[in-house]
Amino acid sequence: MSVAAQYFDGRTATAHGVTLTLDGEWLQLRGDLLAREWPLRDVRVSERLGDTPRRITLPDGGHCEVTDHAALDVLLKQGGYRSSWLDGMQHSMRWALLSALLIVLVFAAAYRYLLPWGAEVVARSIPPNMLQKMGASSLQTLDKLMLEPSKLDPARQQALREAYAKLSPLPDAQLAYRIEFRSAPQIGPNAFALPDGNIVMLDELVALTQDDDEIIAVLAHERGHVEQRHALRMVLQSSAVGLAMTWYMGDVSSLLATVPAMLVQASYSRDMEREADEYAARTLQLNAKSPCLLPDILQKLEAAHAKRQADARKENGGSVMDYLASHPATQERSALLCPAH
Amino acid sequence: MQTQQEHAFEFTGKGWEYFRIWIVNLLLSILTLGIYSAWAKVRRLQYFYRNTQLAGASFEYHGTPIAILKGRIIAFVLLAAYTVAGQMNPLLGILIFLLLAVVMPWLIVRSLRFKLYNSSYRGLRFGFSGSDGGAYAVFLLLPILTILTLYLLAPFTHFKIKQYQHNNSRFGDTFFRFDATSGNFYGIYLKALGLLLLAGVFFGISAALHMPVLMVILPLLYLYIVGFLAVRLPNLIWSKTGLGEHDLYSRMEVGKYLWIAFTNLLGIVLTLGLYIPFAQIRMAQYKFSCMGLLAQGDLAEFVAGQVQTDSATGEEAAEMFDLDISL
Repeated sequence: MSVAAQYFDGRTATAHGVTLTLDGEWLQLRGDLLAREWPLRDVRVSERLGDTPRRITLPDGGHCEVTDHAALDVLLKQGGYRSSWLDGMQHSMRWALLSALLIVLVFAAAYRYLLPWGAEVVARSIPPNMLQKMGASSLQTLDKLMLEPSKLDPARQQALREAYAKLSPLPDAQLAYRIEFRSAPQIGPNAFALPDGNIVMLDELVALTQDDDEIIAVLAHERGHVEQRHALRMVLQSSAVGLAMTWYMGDVSSLLATVPAMLVQASYSRDMEREADEYAARTLQLNAKSPCLLPDILQKLEAAHAKRQADARKENGGSVMDYLASHPATQERSALLCPAH
Repeated sequence: MQTQQEHAFEFTGKGWEYFRIWIVNLLLSILTLGIYSAWAKVRRLQYFYRNTQLAGASFEYHGTPIAILKGRIIAFVLLAAYTVAGQMNPLLGILIFLLLAVVMPWLIVRSLRFKLYNSSYRGLRFGFSGSDGGAYAVFLLLPILTILTLYLLAPFTHFKIKQYQHNNSRFGDTFFRFDATSGNFYGIYLKALGLLLLAGVFFGISAALHMPVLMVILPLLYLYIVGFLAVRLPNLIWSKTGLGEHDLYSRMEVGKYLWIAFTNLLGIVLTLGLYIPFAQIRMAQYKFSCMGLLAQGDLAEFVAGQVQTDSATGEEAAEMFDLDISL
């Protein structure tokens, strides 16, 4: 078997047309004015890379470039040259598709398992004084953007504060808790926890019920979110997703990369809601209150939001921010929290 | 006067072929938490170099993955040190920033040497013999002066950087030369500035006439400016670069470049990135199809004129720090 090749001596740029043949263990090079040979084991052959010329590096400092791949493969096979396992993979369509599939699987697994775990580890290691700073600055931002001062009767505020102060925390609780009363007509009935343990309670939620214990149940649920660092974990997760997207997309502007991250991580996960429900139930039990208080207020919340949405749809065909979108069906949560209900 | 012969570059890479190589290496890079990406980079460069043909021969990349891995570890440590130190103590952050600024030109010289020494064509290696002093002048002193002059000096700095790079580059024993003037660079940057001012005027007119529809033209104009710089600067730089008595040229067109860049971006977004290898191949095809060599006399004379003495490469290899910091 002879293979046509271009020989370069490494000192001048001139190409010499040569043929390569194999004689036992020896690689022979023959050209117009050239006749050389080397043991095949002293010669380095570059790996196959698509249809690119293959390069045979010779001990004399020169090299050959070969474009007749089929002939070279035959010659190399004769010489006992074995290509690497990667060589086959890089040139097979089946491996390309399998790789694409595996990449998707790896990302999915990392997103499902690695990301929440990593976010939790990091969230738990953030020191309390940092949490305080984060809580204060988020409240400031919220006040500027969407919250108004509370119009709730100060006596009712005081009563709720006292009732909440009396609520004994679970033994492993780490943060001090306070209620911040605010109003936000465009958000509707809602309450949310800040990273430092302060809970923003909206007038619209307080107006839903006369039973203070139901408010306490919501507060216990929000406390569960704080104790388990849910908000922090969400922030960490979405920034990690954004970062990964930016890296993967490379040239594409980072703006494009953050959009899907925001869509993916819009609100608490269902698992987080379940964890917070469970935390609330345990707190209520510890304080000799019925765990059924939470489903009661949840049902009222759901009804209120359904009404708001219907109203909004009637008014302008659009929909308002849907607080309950990520919450597990209220029925299901009730069943879990108070089976006797 | 001798006749000039034009030899265009040709890029023979194929999208599907490169896709197969790219995706397998991407998978291995992910599974090894990025370590294998150094091997993937060597393959990518080899694929692109070997598919770049000039006058019947292709280029070759000789860099080793280990050297690239070393460079990446150094870059990662420097960046991590800067980020962490800046978080903990602003003063320490500034200190590390200054340290980085002082080390960077030195690292750039090593990296340029690595890149050129590890590139070859027709069996002859490229080389870089820029001095450290020159690097400190163009990569540290001039950028500082540029900021102090509120970027009035930016085109001049760009010119000096390219001059330093190209005048100190070799192919075998033959040096490249760079014939551009700082005026050439100011010309292109001023035109871009003019277009930007035009955009401003346009904005003013559409605001004054209360015709927001006209605003649609603004992003298009902005895109054109980006494409203008991405095309005209390489065209200038390569067309003013020569090798010995021979000249190079680059004749990209803004419209064609923007069309390829735009459709590439669209493809990448719509396929969640799977189009990346195809996009890289398309862009390389276009860029190289616009580039070439104007050889004095015929090809045989050009080829015969290129030699490499052992001393040139030997010195380089011995002094090689074996480092590539470009990520």
